[in-house]
Amino acid sequence: MIGMGGQGIRIEGLSKRYGSGDTAVLALKDVNMQVAPGEVVGLIGPSGSGKSTLLKCLGAVIDPTAGRMTLGDELIYDNGWKVRDLRALRRDKIGFVFQAPYLIPFLDVTDNVALLPMLAGVPNDEARKRALDLLTALDVQHRAQAMPAQLSGGEQQRVAIARGLVNRPPVILADEPTAPLDSQRAMAVVRILGDMARKYETAIIVVTHDEKIIPTFKRIYHIRDGVTHEEVGEGRALD
Amino acid sequence: MISLAGRDILHAWGKFIFTGVGLGLLIGVTLTMAGVYRGMVDDGKVLLDASGADLWVVQKDTLGPYAESSSLPDDLWRGIRGMPGVAQAANVTYLTMQVGQGQRDVRAMVVGITAGGPGDPGWPPQLVAGRQITRGHYEAVADLASGFRLGDELKIRRNHYRVVGLTRRMVSSGGDPMVFIPLKDAQEAQFLKDNDAILMQRRRTEANPAFNRPGVPGLLEAVIATQTSNSSVNAVLVRAQPGFAPAQVAEPIRRWKRLTVYDRPQMEGIVLGKLIATSAKQIGMFLVILALVSAAIVAFIIYTLTMDKIREIAVLKLIGTRNRTIAGMILQQALVLGLIGFVVGKISATFAAPIFPKYVLLVPEDSIAGFFALMAICVLASGVAIRMALKVDPAEAIG
Amino acid sequence: MKAPRLQRRTLTLLAVTVPLAVLFAYVALRSGPLAPVAVTVAQVESRSIAPALAGIGTVQARHTYRIGPTGAGRVRRIDVQVGDSVAAGQLLGEMDPVDLDERLRAQQAAIASADAALRQAEAKQAFARTQAARYEQLLAARGTSEEQAATRRQELALADAALAAARADGVRLRAELQAVRAQRGNLVLVAPVAGLVVARDVDPGTTVVAGQAVVELIDPASLWVDTRFDQIAAEGLAAGLPARVVLRSRRGQPLDARVLRVEPRADVVTEETLAKLRFDALPVTLPPVGELAEVTVQLPALAAAPTIPNAALRTVGGKLGVWKMTDGKLGFEAVTLGRGDRDGWVQVAKGLTAGEQVVVYSEKTLSARSRIHVVDRIPGVSP
Repeated sequence: MIGMGGQGIRIEGLSKRYGSGDTAVLALKDVNMQVAPGEVVGLIGPSGSGKSTLLKCLGAVIDPTAGRMTLGDELIYDNGWKVRDLRALRRDKIGFVFQAPYLIPFLDVTDNVALLPMLAGVPNDEARKRALDLLTALDVQHRAQAMPAQLSGGEQQRVAIARGLVNRPPVILADEPTAPLDSQRAMAVVRILGDMARKYETAIIVVTHDEKIIPTFKRIYHIRDGVTHEEVGEGRALD
Repeated sequence: MISLAGRDILHAWGKFIFTGVGLGLLIGVTLTMAGVYRGMVDDGKVLLDASGADLWVVQKDTLGPYAESSSLPDDLWRGIRGMPGVAQAANVTYLTMQVGQGQRDVRAMVVGITAGGPGDPGWPPQLVAGRQITRGHYEAVADLASGFRLGDELKIRRNHYRVVGLTRRMVSSGGDPMVFIPLKDAQEAQFLKDNDAILMQRRRTEANPAFNRPGVPGLLEAVIATQTSNSSVNAVLVRAQPGFAPAQVAEPIRRWKRLTVYDRPQMEGIVLGKLIATSAKQIGMFLVILALVSAAIVAFIIYTLTMDKIREIAVLKLIGTRNRTIAGMILQQALVLGLIGFVVGKISATFAAPIFPKYVLLVPEDSIAGFFALMAICVLASGVAIRMALKVDPAEAIG
Repeated sequence: MKAPRLQRRTLTLLAVTVPLAVLFAYVALRSGPLAPVAVTVAQVESRSIAPALAGIGTVQARHTYRIGPTGAGRVRRIDVQVGDSVAAGQLLGEMDPVDLDERLRAQQAAIASADAALRQAEAKQAFARTQAARYEQLLAARGTSEEQAATRRQELALADAALAAARADGVRLRAELQAVRAQRGNLVLVAPVAGLVVARDVDPGTTVVAGQAVVELIDPASLWVDTRFDQIAAEGLAAGLPARVVLRSRRGQPLDARVLRVEPRADVVTEETLAKLRFDALPVTLPPVGELAEVTVQLPALAAAPTIPNAALRTVGGKLGVWKMTDGKLGFEAVTLGRGDRDGWVQVAKGLTAGEQVVVYSEKTLSARSRIHVVDRIPGVSP
């Protein structure tokens, strides 16, 4: 499968300040980050470290105060300038996987996943086909007609991952994806992420503090007080 | 693209239908109130239609015979009959009183119709059962709304009347059913007091030396006879000849007979303007209040439904759903709710209408206007929820 | 997998929405101004009807006698009560004679005195005749003078005149006695015919004026019903027609009667024709005079003609007529009416023929464009 990976995601000198004057808080200070297509990196930091802020900037949900962001081939932020349609950006270029699956309760599993391509203008049949392909790849196709409330936690999470991938975005942001899962399921999720990353040449950033999966990352970004530093991970292989 | 509103409604259809039914009952009340107003106007129109008259001749400077009491001598009709353009002129009396039947009393408007035949002014224009009055005394035609049936014996003052015919929708402007009896009986009913009062009056007359002269036998009887007879009617109903405009026929009567004459538009103005005006205002106020209440309810329901979904809306926004799409989803839900409410409301109003104590007339214009008003209310009411939804920060989806 | 759940939910949804939609469609089409008007129809039949005239009458006595004194006076006694039957000539009462009895006695005494004067005059006349005869004899025998004889002759003439006067006086006084007796007789109230006392207007001791009634009598066999008919409904009223009289106090017992005469003078003010009806057979217990009665005069049956119930008549555009049903479509037909009977059947002189269908009852006022549907009975009317 040809992915739209391009250059993955790159951040240079990203800063974010909240407030102004004496009460200003610098949540992010000159952050640099780079994830290549097909790569899965971890982002680790305690609460209050600016982790959420960084995620929100990466997700084009909030604007940074300074720096440059490039997504795929596209420059999306450059020191004050930003891409006009952030919403389309999020829809097409960024995939989200949350701690909780946040599936739409009144849509069935297939439509939950197919919704994203539909929003992008893809015809319904094609969108559902794409959704079904991904669900099959994630081994939940047998639940394709069920409503989210009928699925187990793990199944829901896999559907959420499928949703994150369905538009083949160049980057996926995963926020604590394994927090509610046991170790076996957690490993399964990590494996899936890795497979999907390679298959679709997607850059995946996993925000986590789950001890079970941290060893699997080859590269890890630590963040503390708004400053990141890169570290080489164990890169333990999965069975 | 799938319909998010449709999917949400299908998923929570029970809640929707239930809420829609509740809203629908409120809409039903609103439609019924509008129907009550139309019914009152119709009561007034039906009253004028039932008289079969083009002109009403009443006592000078009164608004009679419906809005005010009017008294004319009962031989006046002869002079009016001879005026140019008059095809028929008939005496008529109206008196709202209690009519007894068996053990119960019904409030009715007793109409005294001139001796003649069906087709004369004042006679019931059509029946739903039985026959028209054929005898000059002691027969009656009653309206269905009174609850009387064919063959019932009615007691009006001191006489008994047999119901020989039934009508439908012959009511006074106040909604009281009409009972038609021969004019002479009605004159007696309107005038004659109860026996005790008559005895008292006789005694007073006998005690009066001016009337009780021994040298003039017969004087006392003659005086008492004039006291106990009535030769007044409330109005003369006039039908104009074809080819004559009623206004044209009215003018000479006004000028030469020195009476007050009303034509149909003027009479409608009196009945609807004077008799119904206050009630119309009351109902208008009610309608406004009900509309506001409906708007508030729709707004509240849609707001609650939206707030229940606020998490999902944040996620939708995060994953890239247009604001337009989200607003559209909420708006469509509000409109569907309004549609269910309207359907339930119209059905409940139609089935409640016959049970209502006053006549309820549901016209299509009101229903259509109500439908569009309801849709407009739903659109406006959903505005609150839409504002909330659009203000949601997609970042809230992320921790 | 897919089918069952979707089907169940769809089914439940349909089970709710479809009836709602159907109800709504029903409501929209069948009620309100869009709904068709329910009517009943009847066929015009050719039949003969027997019209009847209805009127209201009061029981009256044909002959009422009001007995009273011819002169002012005081009532002394009344011998009868209300309700008594009296024979012709029966004494009903008496007025106070006041001084009449005394006058009677005075008169009789005067007669006695006049009789005595008559005897006196007779005696004088007898003597005078005897004297005249003797002196005639003496004159013939030249025993007396001519003057004496003339005197005696004159005395005889005077005595004759006095006797005649005394006799005439007697006659006069006797006539006066008759007069007082007649006056005395007038104070007695006597029934002129056999009858029933219906009123005793004054009690003994009351002073009455001449002509005031003291006792009222009626002839109970002469009770009749004084009836009034609305002029508009009195066509065909004539003497000799049979009738039914229902007295107000005896509603279930109609009495047979006959029209005695139609009054030549009608009531101008009330616009009624008056007639008198006589009972064929008087009821055993007489109805009180003044009781109200409902009278129905039966006219002879008319020849058969197209007949419709009078409930079918309508006025449209100022014309009286009926709504005719031809081939399921509605059309107004103006008609000229003949007579109607008491049960509501009216004969049609012009405008309809037997066999045509006419609308009898309708829920609402009809127009040429009304949508109708024919029913057996208008909804809302209980059988």
